[in-house]
Amino acid sequence: MSIIKKIDKKDLGKLLEEWKQNFKLLTPSLQSGIADFTEWDGKDTSFTDWYRNTVIPPKRILLPLVENMFSYSKGNEGYRLETPPLDENKQLVFGIRPCDAKAFSLLDMTFKKDYQDTYYLNHRQNTLLVGLSCNDPYASCFCTSLDSSPSDASGVDIMLTDIKYGWLVESVTAAGEELIQNTENLEEASEEDRTEAESNKQSALQKISRHIDTKDISEKLHKSFDDEAFWQQISAKCISCGICTLLCPTCYCFDINDEVTVEGGSRYRSPDSCAFSVYTKMPVENPRSDKWKRVRNRVCHKYQVYPMLFDEIACTGCGRCIRLCPVNWDITQTLESLPSSEVKDAK
Amino acid sequence: MPNSDKNKEFLAEGNAYLPHIAVIEKIIEETPDTRTFHFNFKDEKLRQEFSFSSGQFGEYSIFGAGEATFCISSSPTRRDHFEFAVKRVGRVTEALHRLPVGAEIGFRGPFGNSFPLEEMKDKNLVFVAGGIGLAPLRSLIWNAIDNRKNYKNIGIIYGARSPQDLCFNYDLEAWQKDKSLNTIITIDREDPGWKEKVGFVPQVLEKAAPSAKDSVAIVCGPPIMIRFTFPVLDKLGFTPQQMITTLEKRMKCGIGKCGRCNIGDVYVCKDGPVFSYEQIKGFISSEY
Repeated sequence: MSIIKKIDKKDLGKLLEEWKQNFKLLTPSLQSGIADFTEWDGKDTSFTDWYRNTVIPPKRILLPLVENMFSYSKGNEGYRLETPPLDENKQLVFGIRPCDAKAFSLLDMTFKKDYQDTYYLNHRQNTLLVGLSCNDPYASCFCTSLDSSPSDASGVDIMLTDIKYGWLVESVTAAGEELIQNTENLEEASEEDRTEAESNKQSALQKISRHIDTKDISEKLHKSFDDEAFWQQISAKCISCGICTLLCPTCYCFDINDEVTVEGGSRYRSPDSCAFSVYTKMPVENPRSDKWKRVRNRVCHKYQVYPMLFDEIACTGCGRCIRLCPVNWDITQTLESLPSSEVKDAK
Repeated sequence: MPNSDKNKEFLAEGNAYLPHIAVIEKIIEETPDTRTFHFNFKDEKLRQEFSFSSGQFGEYSIFGAGEATFCISSSPTRRDHFEFAVKRVGRVTEALHRLPVGAEIGFRGPFGNSFPLEEMKDKNLVFVAGGIGLAPLRSLIWNAIDNRKNYKNIGIIYGARSPQDLCFNYDLEAWQKDKSLNTIITIDREDPGWKEKVGFVPQVLEKAAPSAKDSVAIVCGPPIMIRFTFPVLDKLGFTPQQMITTLEKRMKCGIGKCGRCNIGDVYVCKDGPVFSYEQIKGFISSEY
C-alpha cells in the first residue's frame, strides 16, 4: 500500500527547503530560456506555473555532458591512473515527467545489464525521483502508445498529481515511502483529494491526441530494413543535425576522448549521435555514411533492436524529437508509413 | 560463437572503462605502415593470470591520444607476451607508431566472442586472409599449430597488394616450411622478383579449390575481399555455417554500450567480432 499525502501549493517552498537539507535538489528551471533540471536556488517555485516538460532531458543527470572517467599522470614509475571519487551525495529530482522517468528504466537496461557501467550506476543509485503527472501534454506527446500515460508512476519513487491548490503525493517505491514518512511538510490527504487527482489523471489521458500502432512494429522494421527507397524517402528532409538524439531521453550513445593537461590528462565521455556521419567513420570505410542508413539505424534501434534485446521499445513518446526538430521530421509518421509485410512480399 | 563471462575477470577495479597499464616489449615493422607490438602487463599477477581466446580483441590506450580497438594477434597458447598489429591510419594509430620499446600503454579486455574451437575440432581448416586481416587469424593459426592433432588438413591462403604489403613474413616463412600446412601466398599484381602466386585472394582460393567436406573456412581481410570470398566458398560447396569471419567496426567502449558498432540488431563488439556467414548474410551487404 502506498502512502498518500498532499502538499498545498503555498507550502511547496517549505517542502523543497526541507528536502534540500538532505539532498542535492534538482528542479525545472529556465537556463537562457531553455527548460532544464538544475539545482534548486532555495526560493523560486514559479516553475510550477510554466513547466510542461524540460527541453533538456533528465538523462543528463545520469549521463552528463562531460563525465570524467579517470585522470592519468606520468611519474618516474610510469603512468598512474586515478578514478574520480564516487559521488556519495543523494540527489532528488523534483518534477520529472512520467515519460522521462520511464526513460531511466530503459537506460538501466543498457547500463546495468551485462557489463555494469560504473559511472552511470553511481549517479543512478544516488538519485530519487519525485514525478509530476502531466496535466497538459503537448500535441506531439504519444506516451499512451508506449504502455505509459501522463500519470504513469512506474519509473518514479514518489508521484505528485495536481489537485485544487496543490498536489496529491503518493509513494511508489520503498525509498519513496521512507522519504514521505520522514517528511514534515506534508499534510494528510482526504478522500476528496484522491478522487480529484484520479479525475485529473483521466482528463490528462484524454488530452493525448497522437497515437501510433506499435503492434508488429519490430517485425515490420525487420522486413523493411533493406527497403532503401522507403528509407531514402523517410530521411529526405533530415539535415543530420543530431538534435533528436541529443534531446531524446533514451538515446545514450557516447564518445570517449582524452584531454591533455600540463601534469597529465584525463579521459572523459560525452554524448555522441548516430545522426552524425563521423560517428561510425573508420579509416577506410564508413558503414553509415549515407543519411538514410543513419535515420534507419535510429528508428530501428528504438523500435526493433531494443525490443529484441530487452523486450521494451526504447521510446517513451515524450515527443521532443517531433517538437524540436528544425525540419519537422516526425518519427510517428515514419512508423505509421512503414510498408506492410504484404507490400514487401509482392516485390 | 563462444562468448563467456570470463571476460569480466580482468576488469581493472571492476570498472570496464579503466585500462590496465601494459608495457611495449618489442616492435616489429611489418610493412612501411604496419607494426606489431609485443606487450605485457605491468602488474605481475595479471602477467601470470591474464587469459583470452583466439578472436578476442582489446581496447588499447595511448594516454593523451585516446583509445583504439585491435584484436589480440598472438595465440593464447604462447603466453610469454601478447601481441597486436596496427596499421597507421589515424590519430591513435599514428601515436602508437611513435611509441618506442618500453613505452606504457593502456589495455582493456579481452572483449568479444572467439573462434569456435570446439566446432573446428577434427575438421579441415581453410584460412583465407588479406593484408592486415591476417592478424586475428594468425592467433588461431598458431593456436591450431600448437594443437595440431586436433585438426585435419590446414590450408592458408594469404594475399596482399604487393610483396611490400605482406605482413608477418616470419610467420609465412615458418608456415611454408611446415609440411603439415599448405600455405599459399599471393599478391594482387605482378612484381619483379616475385615467385609466388599472383592474383586476388578470392580468385586464388577458387583455383586452389579446397574441399568443403568436413571443412571450416575462416576469412578475414578488407571488406571488399570478404564480400568476394563468400561467393567463391559457396561455389566450392561451403555452407554458410562453414564460413567464419571476424568483422571490424569503429568502437569506443567495446562492451555494447556506446552504440556505434551495430549492424541492424547485431553488435560487433558483443555478439562478435566472430560470426558465421549464416549469422550475417542477411545484413552483410547493407551496412558493411
